[in-house]
Amino acid sequence: MQVKYVNPFLNASVRLFRDHLGLRVESGKPFLLQDPQALYEVSGIIGLAGETRGAVVLSFGRETAIRIVSRFAGQEFVALGNEVLDGVGELINIIAGNAKQDLLEFRIQISLPGVITGNSYKIHWPEGVPVVCIPFSCEFGPFSVNVSLKDIA
Amino acid sequence: MKILVIDDSAVMRRIHRNILKERGIADQDIIDAEDGQVALEIATKNTIGLFLVDWNMPRLDGLDFVHRVRAMESYAKTPIIMITSEAARYNVVEAIQAGVTNYVVKPIKGEALIEKIGKYLDA
Repeated sequence: MQVKYVNPFLNASVRLFRDHLGLRVESGKPFLLQDPQALYEVSGIIGLAGETRGAVVLSFGRETAIRIVSRFAGQEFVALGNEVLDGVGELINIIAGNAKQDLLEFRIQISLPGVITGNSYKIHWPEGVPVVCIPFSCEFGPFSVNVSLKDIA
Repeated sequence: MKILVIDDSAVMRRIHRNILKERGIADQDIIDAEDGQVALEIATKNTIGLFLVDWNMPRLDGLDFVHRVRAMESYAKTPIIMITSEAARYNVVEAIQAGVTNYVVKPIKGEALIEKIGKYLDA
């Protein structure tokens, strides 16, 4: 998977978490996720279809998810309830939708977001397509944006 | 004037409601719908003066909602603001062609949203 397909998701994430939510976000160097299931406890997932295919997953630890969604919603949540999960879904929706503006090679449709929680879930990533993990850290904890997008070039 | 906020995310509906209330819109003048199908039913039973509609929703998405509501004579000219994460240019073109009055890309701060929709609130 080419770097040019990762950058739109990196840029959309930075715009959302740093510019919109005002978090002190630092992004690490993207790397190939050797264990595609190495995600945090709360993950929002969106499928990508159309002229390419793939998926993008936003993954947080429990407390990080609660605190970031609280910032996003302008309301303090204390537990991983339905509204926090709904908020995680909306965050990944924003990242995927915003990334489309820089993915000029493809005309893409994004799916409705799904959110999964737990310590042993498995994501069925698109077969044969590597997963690139973009690690982030902020004052609410670490999180990651994971992208798998089939190259058609 | 009744404002119909259509978004499948409860968090987003709450955010929009709070922004509108801070702008002075009465709580009872803001109606929520979780998808386009529910919104159509509400629109047929009420007189809506402004629609704020998301794009990606289950059952009936925002684009299909716009097509359907524009086909209703009573809403041929009612302002419809699409507020969506869909930022690709082809999405904007498609929405405008469907009859959207204004297109807003999420995320957006409350004051920026009000700047975009203020003229419709004051109409």
